[in-house]
Amino acid sequence: MENSRSTNNAIKTIVEHPITNLVVRCLLGGIFLYAGLGKLIAVDDFTQSILNYKIFSENIAVLSATVIPWLEVLCGISLILGIYQRASTIIITGLLGIFTLLVLWALMHGLDISCGCFTQDPNAGKIGWLKVLENCGYILLGVFLLTQPESPLTFLSLFSRKKIEENSNTTPPEENNDSTD
Amino acid sequence: MKKQQIIEICLLVGLSIVIGFLYTYITHQGFFAPPKQAKAHQQLEIIALPQAKEAYYSGSVRFIDARNEFEFKLGHIRGAIDIPLHDFDRYQTVLSEIPKDVLLIVYCDGVQCNSSIELAKKLSELGFSNIKVFFGGWQEWRTAGLPITQ
Repeated sequence: MENSRSTNNAIKTIVEHPITNLVVRCLLGGIFLYAGLGKLIAVDDFTQSILNYKIFSENIAVLSATVIPWLEVLCGISLILGIYQRASTIIITGLLGIFTLLVLWALMHGLDISCGCFTQDPNAGKIGWLKVLENCGYILLGVFLLTQPESPLTFLSLFSRKKIEENSNTTPPEENNDSTD
Repeated sequence: MKKQQIIEICLLVGLSIVIGFLYTYITHQGFFAPPKQAKAHQQLEIIALPQAKEAYYSGSVRFIDARNEFEFKLGHIRGAIDIPLHDFDRYQTVLSEIPKDVLLIVYCDGVQCNSSIELAKKLSELGFSNIKVFFGGWQEWRTAGLPITQ
């Protein structure tokens, strides 16, 4: 019994450790940064990928293709740097939910199309249940981050720490002013 | 959700919208794509089996098969030319021998396949001006008992 309790404590320590949060943030942020950059190279091809789902009008597809890549890039960078952690996690998890629903919709209707997730090559990354599982995995990472407190390990905290160290090196020692009567 | 988080979400989304429109304006993509590219999606005419059959028997058409070589060899519309979508660049020589104004009917496996549309767009960008997409594809043609090569 004591062994299981100590194992649980160990797992809890690992899960709640700021380094774990940092690793998951970098992983999820890096994936979305990569995905967003891939879409930016060929916005018109990404538009066609959206149209292939046969749900949206052309204007909605073009608007989505204009905004979504930059949303992915900005949220990816935010997550990696630790700026607006919760906000970017919410957006990323929300996007993943929508993408997963779209893939499921396409699978139910038997569409033989590529996902358009990471590359705009029409013959790469064809949708399938593996893509659904992959997206669910990413969603779990997002949910994990949302259930944890924001990590203190951020890009800005690196500079805060450096400033504190610099200040402690340059500040002269305090003089004792003893009052004498 | 806290007020601060809502503000941060709005900031991220707002920035994405602004940067997205600026980026597509500078790179002439999306809403700012030149008219030729913007209309590419609308040029394609999708035809049904009766029109494809009529064109076939009129004799003044080239059928283009967008499937890979293996599927093409298993069976295709009689007289069709195979231009696999995934290997498009290798077939430039074959395409250069086809007059640009001849009627091309592009097909792939069937309604679940979008390769015919993708290939038709690429052909349109190459300068072919008379392209139609037979969406029913190989499956519908074969089921109707029309001329095939196997």
